[in-house]
Formats: sequence, C-alpha cells, structure tokens
Amino acid sequence: MPEIVLKNITKRWGNFVGVDNLSMTIEDRAFITLLGPSGCGKTTTLRMIAGLETPTEGLITIDGVTVFDSDKGINLPPQKRDVGFLFQNYALWPHMTVYKNIAFGLENLKWKKPEIEERVDELCKMLKIEQFKQRYPSELSGGQQQRVAIARTLAPRPKVLFMDEPLSNLDAKLRLEMRTELKRLHVDTDSTFVYVTHDQLEAMTLATKVCLMETGVMQQYDPPLVTYSLPNNLFVADFVGNPTMNFLDAKAERDKNGKLRINMYGIEAEMQTEDVFEMPVKPEGEENAQSDVNVVVGVRPEFLEIGSSGIQAKVHATLPSGMETTVKIAYGEQIFTSVVFGGVDYAVDEQIKVSFRGNGILLFDKFTGKRLCSGALKLAK
Amino acid sequence: MNDDNNVEIEREESVKAGKWLKFRFWLKRFFTNPANIILVVFFVFLAFFIFYPLITLVYDTFAVSSVTETRYGVKMGELTGLWWYRMIASEYNTMYFWKPLGNSMLMSFLASIIAILYGGIVAFFITRTNMKGKSIISMIFVFPYIMPSWTLATFWKNFWQNPDIGSGTGGMVYNLTGLKVPEGMVYGLVPCAIVLGLHYAPFAYILIGGILRNMDANLEEAATILHASRFKIVRRITLPIVLPALMSTFLLVFSSSMSAYAVPQYLGSGRFYVLTTYMKSFLNQGYYGQGYIMGLVMILFGVAILVANQYVTGKRKSFTTVSGKSGQVSYINLGKAKWVVSVILIVLSIFFAVMPLITFALESCCVVAGDYSTLTLQYWISKTPTDAQNGLVGLFFEKQVWRAFGNSLLLSFLCAIIAGSSGVLIGYAVSRRRGTKLAKGVDSLAFLPYLLPSMALGGAFLTMTTIFGIGKSFFILVLVGAIKYLPMASRSGINAMLQLSGEIEEAAVIVGVPWWKRMVRIIFPIQKSTFISGYLLPFTSCMRELSLFVLLVAPSTTLMATLLDEWMLWWPQSANALNLLIIVTVLVINFAVNKLTGASIDKGVGG
Repeated sequence: MPEIVLKNITKRWGNFVGVDNLSMTIEDRAFITLLGPSGCGKTTTLRMIAGLETPTEGLITIDGVTVFDSDKGINLPPQKRDVGFLFQNYALWPHMTVYKNIAFGLENLKWKKPEIEERVDELCKMLKIEQFKQRYPSELSGGQQQRVAIARTLAPRPKVLFMDEPLSNLDAKLRLEMRTELKRLHVDTDSTFVYVTHDQLEAMTLATKVCLMETGVMQQYDPPLVTYSLPNNLFVADFVGNPTMNFLDAKAERDKNGKLRINMYGIEAEMQTEDVFEMPVKPEGEENAQSDVNVVVGVRPEFLEIGSSGIQAKVHATLPSGMETTVKIAYGEQIFTSVVFGGVDYAVDEQIKVSFRGNGILLFDKFTGKRLCSGALKLAK
Repeated sequence: MNDDNNVEIEREESVKAGKWLKFRFWLKRFFTNPANIILVVFFVFLAFFIFYPLITLVYDTFAVSSVTETRYGVKMGELTGLWWYRMIASEYNTMYFWKPLGNSMLMSFLASIIAILYGGIVAFFITRTNMKGKSIISMIFVFPYIMPSWTLATFWKNFWQNPDIGSGTGGMVYNLTGLKVPEGMVYGLVPCAIVLGLHYAPFAYILIGGILRNMDANLEEAATILHASRFKIVRRITLPIVLPALMSTFLLVFSSSMSAYAVPQYLGSGRFYVLTTYMKSFLNQGYYGQGYIMGLVMILFGVAILVANQYVTGKRKSFTTVSGKSGQVSYINLGKAKWVVSVILIVLSIFFAVMPLITFALESCCVVAGDYSTLTLQYWISKTPTDAQNGLVGLFFEKQVWRAFGNSLLLSFLCAIIAGSSGVLIGYAVSRRRGTKLAKGVDSLAFLPYLLPSMALGGAFLTMTTIFGIGKSFFILVLVGAIKYLPMASRSGINAMLQLSGEIEEAAVIVGVPWWKRMVRIIFPIQKSTFISGYLLPFTSCMRELSLFVLLVAPSTTLMATLLDEWMLWWPQSANALNLLIIVTVLVINFAVNKLTGASIDKGVGG
C-alpha cells in the first residue's frame, strides 16, 4: 500500500536552497498537508514527490518503489509514478470539452472506449458535473472548473493524490464546501492525499498530519491538534492558530524550593509543569537583549481569562463575532489577545482583571525559540 | 374659459421650453466633460479623414481623371464603368488584374508559411527546450524585423546576382565562387516569398513565442501526469492551444505581405508583378481608375482578413491564461543536440542580420558595380560627380540625400507627435467614457487604418490631393502618416489608461486640479512608458516606411526610402550606400529608444 518516504531531500538552485535536508514518512491513506508561508518550499516538495521537479540530493520511495535516488541515479518520470496532481489553477485544457479533459488520461492508459465512458460518467455523477460534459472550461464557473479538475485527476484511480493549493482560487463560501467534500473524497477514494496550503485553518481542519515548513526546513510534523497545543518552537506557535498566540518576554529561574518562578514585565507567577528541561542561558556575545530575559511565555488567547481576580488591566478594544468575542487587553505597553465564548461587549478602557487558565501554557527558549515545557501558570498572590 | 385656455397654452409652452432647456443643460453638462469634447472632435475628424478618401477612391474608379485615360475614348470628368470592365471582364483582365492578384496571394501565402515555420520553430526551441544561447539568439533574431522591409530584398539581390541576369552585375556568391544560380532564384515569386517570409519570421516569433511563454506550464504537466508522451503533449495540448495564435499570425503576415511593395518591386525585376507594383505602375502612367481598383481590392482583402482574424481569436474554445506558476517550466532535454541547434540558429540569425550590412558596404565601394576586385570610397566621400555618370556626388556631400534625410526626420517627428498625442487623448477619453457608443465609435475609427494596406491608403489620399489643391505637399505626407500610425498609438494609449483606475484622477478632481494639469502632472507621468511607446512606434515605423509614401512624394518632399526607390534600379553603388545609411539610422534610433525608455519595437501591434 502506498507509503511515501522522503530521505534527506535537498533542492538547490545555484546558491539558493529551496528545500533543505527534508526527511518524512507519509503513511498509507494519510491526509497530509504541507503548510507554511509562501516561498517556504512546500510546493517544491510536492512537485519533487510527483516528479515534476528533480531534487538535488536525496531519496524518494512511493509504495516501496524507489522513484528517485540521487546516489543510484534513479529518476522515474511523473507518468510512471502512478500519482494524481491537482493544480492550483486547475490547468484544464481550454481546447477540450469537460468530457475530453477527463477522458484524456484514460486514453493514454489505453482504456477501452466503453470503459472510459463509464468511468467519466461515474466521476461526473459523483462530482455533480454531468450536465456540463460537452462544455468548454471557459464556460464553467470557478467551482465547476474545480470539480472537473478533481474528476480528471481521479479518473485513472491514482493511489496517491497531490494537491497544490486547490482551493485558493475559490470564494470563501465555496472553499468551505469544497473542504468538506475533499475530506469525504479522501475516505471514499481510499488513497493517500498530500495537500499544499498556506492557510493554517485549512491545514488544521483537513489533515491527519500537518507538516509545517519554513525556508525549506521542516519545523514540525504532527497531527494538527498536537501541533496546535504543543508547537515545537516559536515559529510554529505563531503560525498556527487564529487569533495568534500571546508571547510574553519573561525571566525564569528556580527558587530554592525548586519552584519555577516567572517574571513577566513585573508580573510574578509560578509555572507548574511535569516537563524536565535545562534553564536557558544567554549565549555569549548576545548583547542587545534585555539583561535578564531568557524565556518567552506563550499563551493561547483562550487560556487568558477575564474574571474577578488577577492582574489589573484595561480593555483596548472588543471584537465580538457572535459565537465568540476577541478582546484586546492593554497592560502597560503590551497588548494581549483573549477569546471569550459568546457575545460579550466591553467598553473601551474598561478596567478588568486577567488571569491564566488551564494546563496549556507554554514556555519557549528566548534564544533558540525551542519549546521548553507546557503547564499551568499561577499568579503570585 | 379663455383664461383656462391661456393657462393650458402657457403650460404647454413651458413644457416645451423645459424640454429645450433640459437639452441645453444636458449639452452643457456633456461638454463640461473634457473626455466628451475629445471624443466628439476625434469622431468628426477621423470620420472625415478616413471615409472621405475612401469615398473619393471609390468614386475615382468610375471617373476619368487624367489625359492618359481619355485615350480609351472617354472624356475628362466623365463617369464610366470602363475601368471596372477592363479589370474584371475584358480580354486583358488576366494580365491586368487576375494575374497580379494571383501572384500577390501566392506570394503572401508562401511568405506566411515560411514566416510561421521559421519563427515558430525558433520560438519553440527558445521557450520549450534547454537550448544554449537563448538570449543572444532572441536578440539577433528580431533584427531583420527592425530593419526596413527592403533590406533583405536588396541583400538577396546583392548576394545571388550574376552577370547573366538582371542588371548584369555580379553578386557576392558569383564574386567569391563563380557560381551562377538560375534566374528564378534571384528574381520572381520564390525569392519574393522567401524574403518576405524571412522578414516576418521575427514577427511570428514574437507572437508565437509570447503565447508559448505565457502558456501555463501546468497545462503540459497535467498531461505528463496523465501518462501522455512528449510528442503527444505537443500534438494534443501545445499545438491546439497555440493554434489560434498561429492562425492569427498567418493572417497578419498574409495581410502585410499583400500590401508589401518594396520587396516585389526590387525582386520582381519587371517580370513578376503583384497588386502593389502593378498599381504603382498604373498610377505612374496615369491610369488612375484602374490603379485605384487595385487599391480598393487590397482594402477589401485587408478588411476580410482582419474579420477572419477576429473570428479565429474570438471563438468559444479561446483561452484565458490564468497566470500560473509558469516559472517552473520543465524544458525538453535536447542532450548533445542542444549545441548543434544553438550553433545553427546563431549562424542563421547572424547571417540574416549582419550579412546584408556587409554586402551593402561592399557594393557601395565597388568601382565597377558588383565587382569586388577594386574598391573605392568615392560613392561616399567624393565632392565631384562620381564615375557612375549620373551627376551624383559622394553620399555625404549629396544635397538630395541630406534633404531627404531632413524630410524623413521631420516627417517621422511630426507623425509621431500627432499620432502619439492623439493616442494619449483617445486613450484617455475612450477609457473614461467606456461602454458609450461614442467611445466605441472613436475606438474603432482609430483602429480602422490598421485594416487599410499602406499602399491603398496612400492611393486613397492621392485621390484627395487634387480636390483641396494641397497637391503632393509635405502636409499630405504628415496627414497620411499620422492616420496610418494612429492605431499603434491609440492601442498603447487605451492600454495605458485602462490599467489606471479612475480614482487616481478623481482624487485630483476633488481638490480642484484643472483637467490639463491632471493630464500633464498625474496621468501622463504614471503611465509614461506606455504612452511614450505610443510616440516611438510611429516614429521608428515612419522612418522605414516606403509603400505608404511612395505614391505621394514630390521632388521637393523626397524621403530617404523613396530616394532609394528611385536610385535602386540604375545606380547600385550610390543606392547601396544610401541603403546602409538608412538602415544604420533606423538601427541607431531604435537602440537609442530601447536604451532610453526600455520600450521595445517588438512589443508593438506589429505588421
């Protein structure tokens, strides 16, 4: 069954490194999203697996077959890798009708005519595009073109399906609909999906595992909820989640009882955690940072509670959306974000009290950005 | 009762007055918008200067307008169907009409095929393979298109000529190898078609290459993923998608070749006639009616071709390129052949770009025309009449040359200023009043001259010269030039303005900036480069134009190109020297323009 393995894949253009020493295993029937800001190498990775781009170094196997090996000089062309590819702009052939577009790949595989017709009909029914079979792509709407592109990709029953930002050209409502359909399609077709996107919400909602990349380097490869609650580093923590995580520069040290004392802009607190880590120290030669800050406290907006006790702060702005309310909180020079369930409206500059909630508070190394621990944060009385 | 009636009447009058008043208000409001004033002015002006010559052209095909024509027993000023009869139905019709028409069509057809094959193949190699030296090839390859259309024709003659044929002098091949090629290789249909094909190949290259480059590479990759072979992709995906562009290139090259005058003139050698050359000789001999019929036929062909082009490019299968990640094109790997292909293409491009100049230089320095054994510089620098016994002194001291040079520069300058400025104004007005009938009308009127072959347009204006008593003055040259190049200028003007949102101007309207200041200080500076190319295209095109002006020049208004036309047949050394001077001037101007503005001739409407 199709399992895709990448080992030490590197892609360079001259001195520019597109993908740097990437290793990952995509399990059979997984739905993987490659996530990252534009230019991070996610599309290049996808195209390398599909065979549209040649890696500089490394090894790729699909379903146990080595499709690329820089050491042995193996490089299977895309058509021999038995994969499907859904392009961002659909790449429908403008001079062929919908039927022709879908049938073209099957003709190349020397399918018999009745079989082709049957398969095209089946796909058109599944994707609800039966009435458009004799139309040309320019006569279809964006969503319909998208469905035709999906049908064309699925037609030869590929075991692996690659998708390069397939929803980014659709309007918001249609995008939501298509997301649901893609997730159904994944189960129905019983194949492995690899999906490129820069939209973290899309990545989170669709995937069984998210691979987050930055400047060609893999940052984290975990199921979405793990990535959300236990980000490996500051980049991941910042990229995933909306509204974004609050970051508070702090000084951390252990007191004589072994308790972890945190000082954030003068706010004293104690971090309660099971995780074991070494206290970060300022690397030599680092002069510009504030003298004693050595960690960053990461707090998801939903863990910042507005209540009757805690730190005295005031409301900077309230952004109610109905189901939830985003509250911007001003503490001194800093602005924090909190999310409250339900529609609550605070007056601007209203005095409030803020405290930390739950076990999901994170501590990062100020200098390396790495996650140190997660736990609860109790304000000192 | 009476009072009631009076009230009624008064009310009616006030309603009438109200209507009149409303109309006046509407008129006033209409003309406070500068865009409307521009549109109305250009509509009237263009309608007159395009349709009036066309009407007189049609009229003159039925008129007796010269003494020569009275030879057929008709009186001056009479109306007659004789010319149409002679051209279409009389016993002479084959010689006078059908043969030149057939020649024109055959020549244009072959030229289009050659241009598309040569230009298309180069475009394919450059955009789709890993061939070496792409940038240098694409630079040299467009050279022949920048040079005047007769460059390759005169080169061809200089190259293959031998003592047995034509003017009896030897060409380069004969001088170096003693080889005498058959006459059909030097003069007639085949060389005309080849030379035109080579001249328009860069044009085909620019059009097809543009489509290939903009074509989303994903379209081909999608086919690769779906198990199509390289060959199948080219046949089933790439070719069908570029087919409309190919058809369109074919039609445009065909139409340009139909109206080509210089090439069949220089390589027809009095035996091979096409519509343009026959039309010129009819008009020269005073057979105006029959000449104008040929002009009219060329116009009909031009319009038909452009209509066909509109149909080809506007079909249901036509595609809109979604700009994809086309940067990631996977090139076809030619292997070792990539060097062979590059060397062949570089040699070919250099041959057709540089060799013409070398032969012109050599020919201009021969003591005996066509004989390289002794060389002299007298045709360039002699202050006394040269050995050619034609009363001409060396080129640098020949008054005719400098007058023609001055005329050409002044004409190009005036045409560029008029056409370019009109282009800016039309672009502004049409884009501001987009969707209105008036704007559409002006837009199509400004594009109309593009459909009219140069020679025929020249002929149409020739019919006007007698009417207003302007004769063959400099003014008529400026007028016809400005009108012929208006399409280029108005296209770039409209393109420039459509990219500019109306809000940019409205922001200035709000703070009370007057209209002319908005144009000069805001709109023009923002779209400077596009507008400037609307000035430069007419300028460079005008410098190398022959067929548009050849019917309209008088001795006092001789241009460089028409002077060359006069010299070419009889005085090869001086003609070649002049030819080199013209080409160098055109190239220098072109490169100066490229360097100064970044605007390139290759991006224009072409044709």
